[in-house]
Amino acid sequence: MTDLLLDVTQQLINGLMYGAFYAIIGIGFTLFFGVMKKFNLAYGPTIMAGIYLGLIPLYLFKMPMWVVFLTCVAGAIVIGFIVELACFRFIRKGHELAPLITTIGMLILIQETVVTITHALPYEYPNIFGDESLDLGPFLVRPDYLAIFITGVGFVALLYLLVNRTRFGRAMRAVAENPAAAQLLGVSVKRMNMLTFTLSSALGGVSGFLVAMTFGALQPGIAGWMTIKGLVVIVIGGVGSIPGAILAGLLLGVVEFQAMWFLGFTYRDILAFLLLFAFLVLRPSGLMGKPAV
Amino acid sequence: MEYYVAVLSIIGIHMLLGLSVYLVAITGQLSFGQQGFYAIGAYFAGMCTALWGIPLFPAILVGMAAAGVMGFLVGFPCLRVKGLYLGIATLGFGEIVRLVFLNIKYTKMIGGKLVGPNGAEGFRHVSYIYDRGMTQVQYLGIIYAAVLVVAILIFLLERSKLGVKFRAVEEDEMAAAMAGINVTAVKVFAFTMGGFVAGLGGALFVHYSTYIDHEIVALPLAFSSAIYPLLGGLGSVWGPILGAAVLIFLTESLRVLHEFRMIIYGALIILMMTFRPRGLIDEAFLRRLRGLRRRRAAASAAT
Repeated sequence: MTDLLLDVTQQLINGLMYGAFYAIIGIGFTLFFGVMKKFNLAYGPTIMAGIYLGLIPLYLFKMPMWVVFLTCVAGAIVIGFIVELACFRFIRKGHELAPLITTIGMLILIQETVVTITHALPYEYPNIFGDESLDLGPFLVRPDYLAIFITGVGFVALLYLLVNRTRFGRAMRAVAENPAAAQLLGVSVKRMNMLTFTLSSALGGVSGFLVAMTFGALQPGIAGWMTIKGLVVIVIGGVGSIPGAILAGLLLGVVEFQAMWFLGFTYRDILAFLLLFAFLVLRPSGLMGKPAV
Repeated sequence: MEYYVAVLSIIGIHMLLGLSVYLVAITGQLSFGQQGFYAIGAYFAGMCTALWGIPLFPAILVGMAAAGVMGFLVGFPCLRVKGLYLGIATLGFGEIVRLVFLNIKYTKMIGGKLVGPNGAEGFRHVSYIYDRGMTQVQYLGIIYAAVLVVAILIFLLERSKLGVKFRAVEEDEMAAAMAGINVTAVKVFAFTMGGFVAGLGGALFVHYSTYIDHEIVALPLAFSSAIYPLLGGLGSVWGPILGAAVLIFLTESLRVLHEFRMIIYGALIILMMTFRPRGLIDEAFLRRLRGLRRRRAAASAAT
């Protein structure tokens, strides 16, 4: 009995820490949706491309890890701009489904570019935290997971300040509320879109850098995987809600880790999708969303 | 020659996938999960011929029925959500189906070969049509006969009272409900029909390729089957047919570019959607076409 309790708690700790990554992707999607009222299915590929760009200084120039980190974040931001330009900027208004398809096109484009350049070989990503777990009483804490969690908490605090305490945040909320009115009052919607893309790409770059280390080996398939996790998180959390995305990310992490431990690795995704279905059927507005979608 | 037959076969099968997305889409529902029904159709029809010795046509019907029943069942929970939520929900459904087939093992030794769904190994040796001496060209005929029948049925559906109800639900659910249309029934019916058609596509595919595994029905198929009708246009049944033909034709003709093929494919999707956000055959085009036909009819009546 105590063993079971220990296992559950251990996986709870892992799940919460890993879930911080899901929460950050969810926040990225929520920011896009809040400001642009559109989904960006190329968000996962953006993060993936950033991670891969980080490999360039590492493998070609043997640079230290902080350069890799900066390249990763800068790379994600640049790719984010390209996505905005290619998939959103030139789509005329009133075509809801078109950006969905253009971002799918971008997903294929980015993923295949990386596949071509890397010859589809998995690349090793060094883990700067080592693989020694920290002892915490009877529990083990993986340092890379801990780093993800701490970064996630830091991001949430920063975002809270940014959204609620700064001019930028106020402008962003104004655009989210009513773009036309915001434009009339002198907020450049176009500029806000760019800034939102920068912000969410940077979030993705930082968390991507950390999560890449937990993988060990990188492969381009993580692009679609991250997009799907992000979509699952925002639906469970309620579309457009940042607190919802945080809660849903943590919940998803916990459910997945419990499933992996008790049922086996392949049940991780099955349980994640069943959780999604449960929410869609029982509470379609999500944890924190407004009712009636 | 063989190569062209292969490309045409795949185009026909993917037209069925596009049509199944279209059937759901004309009630205003977006599905990224039709590849799940396709997988169910393929596995069930494949098991019928390869394991249980059932002839081809009843086997295809069993595959379709299994997928249709699943469509019916999925239709209900999906009623509660709309738009992109539904897209994500159906994507989840498709992935669950894929993961289930990744885990299922049900094999028999038949003629010295291990036949049946074998987890990650996939489902091999569904060689019914080739065992009976059918050529690929003959099978191509069967595929296009199926496409033709489905397209005609959808064409007739759209000109029936039910089709008007479909479009009414797409336009405005609330108004449709007020006009006495049973929105629930329409949506679940659309999902069931979509399941049938996707199941038919899967059943035809597995007998064509003799093989199916979970990789085939993963995300890329989900995306491309949703892209066909949206790229072709949701205004008429020609949309998904043209979308599938254009996209696969492009992919194949880009083969000379080797590894850059898929990169350019992605770029072309972006470009086409930027210039024709309502699809290649959009409503404006259809209106112009209708106008042209009317004018020609008027001209011939005058002479």
